[in-house]
Amino acid sequence: MLDSDHLAFILSGVSISLASVAAGADPRPTMSRGLGCKALDGGRRLAVFVRRSQSADLLANVGSSGRVANVFSLPSNNRTLQLKGSDARVLPFAASDLPIVERHVADLLREVLPLGLSEAVVRALFEHPADDLVSVVYTPDAAFSQTPGPQAGVCLPRPA
Amino acid sequence: MSVRLETIRECLEGIIPGHIATCDADGVPNLAYLSQVQYIDNDHVALSYQFFNRTRQNVLAGSPVCLLLTSHLNGAQYRLKLHFLRSETAGPLFEQMKAKLAGIASHTGMSGVFRLLGSDIYRVLAIEQVAGAVAALPPPPINHLSALRQATQRLAACNNLHCLLETALDALAEGFGIGQVMLLMLDEGRGRLYTLASRGYPQSGVGSEIAVGEGVVGICARERTPIRIGFMSSEYAYGRTVRDSVAAAGDADALESAIPLPGLPDASSQLAVPICAVDRLIGVLYVESVANLHFGYNDEDALVAFAAQLGLAILHHQQFEEQADDEPAGEDCPPSPAGPPLAVRHFAPNDSVFLDDDYLIKGVAGAILWALLSDFVERRRTSFTNKSLRVDARIRLPDFADNLEARLVLLQRRLAERGAGIELAKTGRGRFSLRVERPLLLVEG
Repeated sequence: MLDSDHLAFILSGVSISLASVAAGADPRPTMSRGLGCKALDGGRRLAVFVRRSQSADLLANVGSSGRVANVFSLPSNNRTLQLKGSDARVLPFAASDLPIVERHVADLLREVLPLGLSEAVVRALFEHPADDLVSVVYTPDAAFSQTPGPQAGVCLPRPA
Repeated sequence: MSVRLETIRECLEGIIPGHIATCDADGVPNLAYLSQVQYIDNDHVALSYQFFNRTRQNVLAGSPVCLLLTSHLNGAQYRLKLHFLRSETAGPLFEQMKAKLAGIASHTGMSGVFRLLGSDIYRVLAIEQVAGAVAALPPPPINHLSALRQATQRLAACNNLHCLLETALDALAEGFGIGQVMLLMLDEGRGRLYTLASRGYPQSGVGSEIAVGEGVVGICARERTPIRIGFMSSEYAYGRTVRDSVAAAGDADALESAIPLPGLPDASSQLAVPICAVDRLIGVLYVESVANLHFGYNDEDALVAFAAQLGLAILHHQQFEEQADDEPAGEDCPPSPAGPPLAVRHFAPNDSVFLDDDYLIKGVAGAILWALLSDFVERRRTSFTNKSLRVDARIRLPDFADNLEARLVLLQRRLAERGAGIELAKTGRGRFSLRVERPLLLVEG
């Protein structure tokens, strides 16, 4: 289970990226931007929202191997966390989760606009039509600090 | 139609960081953010290797590599499939990336953390644009191709080196909207570059020097490759480089800093482009700005193309001046100048020349001035040719690549800026005259 600090972090205005590989000899790693996430079961599992139209290969890989790598990074200070899981599944997006996505995009805008990016660009990048969203749900089984530096990649205490 | 990498190079600047996905031999995926992607050509990019992290372990173990890049201009996203080829730890590509990384590190508060260990070169196997809306592209600040066309046309209209230098800098200022620019020539024998012309600074800095290998300009010269930095980096700051080199050299070379380099103290964006011709480095074109990320790949391309034209033109005009168009007229005997004498002191070991105890010039240009003034004082001689200087034993021009005409331009400009009553003026192809307005007192040593 993610600790409260990590949970608060991944639910803030972080940039989210989700990767997966195909099972077998040809892993074809690929990734998509996440448009928000939500903790399930008190933090035991996570749902990450991505756009189906942007993620055909990613979703196929999740279906094939269940293995994901998920990075969260706060643009203003480079704090970065990577979570991994091996039981990922693709689930339909629940319309009731749309406010989570909207809040995430608003938080992200507040993070990146002071860095000089144009609002039109950020809004285009994080466009989130509800009928195009899908959830990837997994149990984080490893966490790594990936804040840039020599300590990047250090394995954090195993989530319970 | 597949996307050509050269058309999406803004995605490589890292303004919106790229992501890299790999996996290990057991099929465990890994994701990381990239600080730098360097464009090599349409089929190759380089990624910076800074730490032996999981990504690099996976890559070395043969993992397929996927990048997700994003344009900060319109939000378009692209996935690139890459294949790792090799790593370089020295040379032009490495130095380009090292300099750029120093700027990025400084900008992101990672100075001392980010250090380039290698440039990992990848072949680009495929580029796919990710579905989704994109914002309207902002109009580009300039049309580089049109600016380049006009600038090179202006170069073609010049008939001597002096005109060429002025025109080149005007064209960069007016056509490319570049506020601060310097043109430095290589002194091959001494391994240094000297400023021959500049625009946009309170002091021209003509005659100021920097060693090959130091700072953005010196590394550009050593590697003969463009060096471009988008953020202020103390590691590559001009002032610091010069101060450090002066300190290292001790007092013996105090003259090196007698003419300060004109650079902006707070430059954020810096771009140095080598000027080469016939496989020789002639000099460096250096531009800078206080704005972050002011120069992009298109600016670099345009300046490299411009420098290629400029290099050939400099070479041509220097060779052109080697032949005088006719024999100098008989030695004129100007009236002896009146007024308080000007003391001209020459120090033979480094050919430095001081006017009334103020440093003016040294090296080959100093030797030339001393010979001209000696002839003037002894024989009232005022007409000279490049050809006569070349065979003058007092000047000891190096056998190779001496850039004689450039040194005459340097000398002419230093004299004009000093305004001490000594002037050089061009009087024809390969010919010039000396004008002295005050009695001279020549002192050796």
